Order: sequence, then C-alpha cells, then structure tokens
Amino acid sequence: MVDKMDYTPLRIPLGPVHPALKEPISFRVTVRKEEIVDVDVQLGHVHRGIESLAESRNLIQTLYLVERICGICSHSHTTCFTQALEEIGGIKPSWRALYLRTLIFELERMHSHLFLLGIMAYEIGFDTLFMFTWHARENVLDLFEEITGNRIHHSMNTIGGVRWDLSLHMVEKINDSLKEMEKSIKYIEEVFQDKTVEERLCGVGVLGYNEARELCVVGPTARGSGVSMDIRRDYPYAAYSELKESFSVVLRNSADACARTEVRIFELFESINIIRTILDKLPNGAISTGISVLKLMSKIPEGETVSIVEAPRGELLYFVKTNGKEGLLRLKVRTPTIPNVLGLKPMLIGCEIADIPVTAASIDPCMACANRITVINQDKGEARVINWENLRRRGKKQ
Amino acid sequence: MNTIAILLAMVPVVFFISLLFEGIDRKIHARMQKRIGPPIIQPFYDFIKLFNKERIVPVTASSGIFTATPIIAAAAAILGASIPLASLTAETSVVGDLILILYLLAMSSVMVMVGGSSSGNPYGAIGFSRKMTMLIAYEMPMLISIVSVSLNCFSLAYYDIVSTQIRTKSLLAFTRPSMAVAAITFLLCIPATADVVPFDISEAKTEIIHGPLVEYGGPYLALVKLAKAASNFALTFLAMGLFFHLPALLGGYASVGLGAICLCLVTTLILLLLTITVPRTIFARLKIGQAFKFYWLIPLASSIMAVVLSILEL
Repeated sequence: MVDKMDYTPLRIPLGPVHPALKEPISFRVTVRKEEIVDVDVQLGHVHRGIESLAESRNLIQTLYLVERICGICSHSHTTCFTQALEEIGGIKPSWRALYLRTLIFELERMHSHLFLLGIMAYEIGFDTLFMFTWHARENVLDLFEEITGNRIHHSMNTIGGVRWDLSLHMVEKINDSLKEMEKSIKYIEEVFQDKTVEERLCGVGVLGYNEARELCVVGPTARGSGVSMDIRRDYPYAAYSELKESFSVVLRNSADACARTEVRIFELFESINIIRTILDKLPNGAISTGISVLKLMSKIPEGETVSIVEAPRGELLYFVKTNGKEGLLRLKVRTPTIPNVLGLKPMLIGCEIADIPVTAASIDPCMACANRITVINQDKGEARVINWENLRRRGKKQ
Repeated sequence: MNTIAILLAMVPVVFFISLLFEGIDRKIHARMQKRIGPPIIQPFYDFIKLFNKERIVPVTASSGIFTATPIIAAAAAILGASIPLASLTAETSVVGDLILILYLLAMSSVMVMVGGSSSGNPYGAIGFSRKMTMLIAYEMPMLISIVSVSLNCFSLAYYDIVSTQIRTKSLLAFTRPSMAVAAITFLLCIPATADVVPFDISEAKTEIIHGPLVEYGGPYLALVKLAKAASNFALTFLAMGLFFHLPALLGGYASVGLGAICLCLVTTLILLLLTITVPRTIFARLKIGQAFKFYWLIPLASSIMAVVLSILEL
C-alpha cells in the first residue's frame, strides 16, 4: 500500500523518434522510480509495402527490390531470394559462384556485427569505442567496394551465380585486410572487457533459455541465451556444407546483453576463419551459367518454395511462389527482427530506464525489415494493425 | 571600487577563455577518437549561431522559470569563474569568497536542472531527479575537501590559500599527505560537476535525450552551454589555485603578474584535459546507482580522511 502511495507510475513515451533508436519504433514504458514495470512495443512506422510491390514486378526487378529491404544485410536477402528461384528453376550454380556468395556473406556478417558493436558502445555512452569499431568496419566496406563496386548494396547475386569474380590480386588484398581487422577486433574485444562496459552490460536485458525457446528468437539473440541454432550448420546452404570444419557456433549461457555482445565478437573471429578457408579452397570455374539472366528468368516455371539463410541478425526466411510468367504470385519475407523484437518485453521488464537503449540495441533490431501492415483511419484517428488471422482471412477470400 | 572594476573586466575574459577551453577539449577528444574534430573556435560559432535562432518556449512550460533560469545559470557560472580570476589579478583576498564561488557553481547547475524540469517534458523531470541524486553524491566530498584545505591554511579566502603557496614556494597538494588526499578528492568530483562521461547520467543523450536540456533551443541553449563551459573553467581554475598554483614555485616577482596568470591558465587547461577530456574519452557511462555508490565509497571516504589528517596536522 505504502509503495503505491509513494511512487505513482510514470508513463514515458520512447520513440518513434528518439536519439537512442536508429529506426522508428515506439515503446510506451511505464516506470516506477527508475524501474520498468511495463512495456508496450509498437511497430509500423516504416512500412514500405515491399511484399506487395514484388508481386507487380518481374523476378529480376524483384531481386534488386529485396536487396533494398535492408541496408545492412542486403546480400542475405538476395541470396535467400536467388536460392529460392534456383530451386524452383532447377538451376545449379557453380561451386566457385557458391564460394564467392559465401565470401560476401561472411564479410557482410562482419560488417553488420561491427556496426552493432559500435552502436552498443554508443548506447552506453562510450563514444571512443564506437569510433574505433566503426573505423574497423571501414575495412570491410572498402573490400566490398573493391570486389563489387558498391559499399552497401553490393548486387553480387544473380540467378545462377554471382556477378563479379575475384582476381588473385584481390585475394591477397582481402588476406592483408583480414590481418589488420583481426588485430583491431582483438583490441575491441579487450576494450569491451573494460570494467565500466561490463557494469553496463552484464545482467541487463536477461532472456532465459526457456523464454528464448518459447518466443522463437533467432540468431545471436538466441545463441546468447544458450539456444544452439545456426542455419549455417543446421541446414547448410551456399558453400557452407563444405566449410563445416572451419567454424563453430558461438554459444553463451548468461542470456544478458553482455552475452549477446560476446557472441557477436567471437562470431567475428569465426567469420575471419571462414573467409580464410574460402580464399584457400576457392575452386576454379565460371561464376555464372553464361546464359543471359532474362532467358533464365523466362525459364523459371510456376512453383513455390521456402528458402532460409542465416543473416547476421539470425534466421531469414523467404516463401516464394512464382507464376511461371516471369513474375511472382506471393513473396513472404520473415526477417530475424520479427521474432527478436518479441523478446524485448521480457528483457526490459525489471530493468532501469538507463537500460532501455542498450537492451533494444542488443537484439540488433532492424525496424524497416520488420514492419507489417498498420491501417490508420485518419478521420477517427485510430490505428489498427492487421494481424495474422485477418491476413489469412483476406488471403482466403482472394 | 577598483576590485569591482577588475571583477567586471574579468567577465568577457572568462567568456572568451571558457569557450576556447571547450574548443580545445573537443579537439583533443576528437583526436583521441581518431577523428579530425571541429575547429578550436567551434564553440564561438555555436554560440553565435544559437543566439541568432528563434526563441521557442513550449506550451507546457512555466515560461517565467523556463526563460529566467538559463540567464541566472550563465551569470552565476561566469561570476563564479570571475571571482577567483579577479582576486588573483588584483592580489586581494576577500573573506569567505570560497564559499561564494562554490555556492555560485552549485547555483548554476541547480538552475539548469530547475529550468529543465519546468519545461513539462518527462525527460526533463527524469533528468532533474538524476541530477539531484548526483548533486547529493558529489557536492558533499567536494565541500569537505575544501574544508580540509581551509583547516590547513586557516582561511576561507581564495587568495589567502594562493599566497600561502607563494610564501612557502610549494604546491599545496604536495606539502602534506592531508592536502594530497584533498586534491585527489576535489579532482575526482570535477567530472561529475561538469556532467561528462562516465557521470553524464543526468544528460545521457542516448537514454533521456539530454535530460534538462531537452526543450531548450536557440539563445536559451546557448546560455546553458555557456554556463556549462564557464563552470567547467571555474572548477578547474579553482582546483589549480587551491592545490597546484604553479607560479608559486618560481618565487619572487615571477609568482605574480600577467606572466604568472598565463602560467595559471596553462595549468588550468592541463587540469581540464585530465579531469574532463580524458575520462570522457576512456569510460562508458555509469548508471545512477553505480555513480552514487562510487562517490559515497571513494571520494567521501577520502575527503573525511583529509579532514581527519588536517586536524591531526599531518
């Protein structure tokens, strides 16, 4: 009773525009003193209608469209999509193409993880570490630019292979760059063990093993909670079936923000290992089928398939249904942020206000990827989110 | 009369030096982070730009308090910095001016806090409660360390303490163990007073969007920033005079006059870099509980130790 009299709960709106959140997401946080008692997570501020847009375009156009779903894991999206198309069309890319795909994939993982580690440092007010981490990330971006011509949207994948080959000179360059990056990542790892960093990350945003299983969280968020899952190992795609010996799945059991950060740091070293193996084992051969992609596209029959890859943030799933006339009947994208964002509520309750940004960042959310339909009736001023049931009912009607 | 004229003349000097020191601090901070950083006179550009902007007072704010507090904060901070500078220039001691200086500096941060919480923004309110907690944490050890200094020099006047150092040709911090402990305590309190990482909890940008400053913009923000720069300068200048009055080592005529004051300013800059720039480069932000615990465990204990040692005349 006394407790209730003393502190009336204060409702704080966090977002959709907030300097701690890189993308629009809204938290309605109820706090008593500094402790969080309830959280209401709201998405839907950056819905772009990409799935619907994809249905009105042809397959090649869609390939470039899905790349724009996310700026950080653009290669994961195109890999997942081309894989699905290749499965439907029965096209087998050469091993060299698959290896190159995997190479870009792992470079992208490094770039994404370094990006997030920088954000984590920024959220806890450690600007110096943030600058150092992003300094290391520049190396990866430079490599991307030299290999593919673009820093962010690489457009590396095409149906039946990849678009750019790797010269011997480039292999050396990547090796040199890896050496440099390994050094700076080791330094970053040391700084992350600093006492003040530890105090801000350890025991913050705990998501236990059982809760993680129940909410189906994926990727480093799940691995930080001790759930051993990695699509690269469980359902190998691209060249991962041949690279099984060169990496291990990083697991941590403490289930807090610190564990998720550690998982990412050690995955960087695993990625370096994978890239070195790829550069060693890179087979000879053509990088694509040699047939024009427009011809290949017209040969893809009607069919449907599910394709999954392990994006830097976790499991990325595509359901692709082609219409046999160079177009799509249905494209369904399930980005890793959709399951991970559900984990935020149990993570945040019981924490302090100071922990909100770092907890939200620790799942590496990518809002633009995760937004689903919100219908806003402007006259009445009410917002309504169309849920799964509604969508299914609509789907059945059509 | 003469003293008051000198004091007034010090106001533009403090304005200039404090913004210049902030610029140097930002530049060196950037260099330590492998960045190029802004030009050293960037704070002046910021100040002028902000002053030319529109004045916005939120409808939820109690407008009188909201607009008056930045002016009082800036005035208090500049006055707090001018008094020690003026008493050093005029070589006069005013009884009890140490208390006035500390009061003015506390006044400056309290005014920013009150102005922020009067804005009606919940982040301002959280910033207020956090800053209040921090104030309780760091103000106590700071005052106690000053008490131990005055116990040692039998005076509460800034210039008396400086002249003691000139007379004995030594830096107060290195004369006795009690003074060394007091100096360390005082320096430990500076980052919290200046609201820099790891103790920028009340203004945590990524958590509560600069807390009390969230609704301020235009000329008001310029004044708040000036107040911060001036109070940082005042604190480090105070620390320099009380514990590390370097010209005292030179002795004779070299220990007073314009040259001596320049040397004092250089020492102040070094202290500012050590107590503000370095911590904000090498640490992550603490949480309010952790910061409070730190201040009540280490600086408070050491300040009490300093008092006990000075009573024992060690």
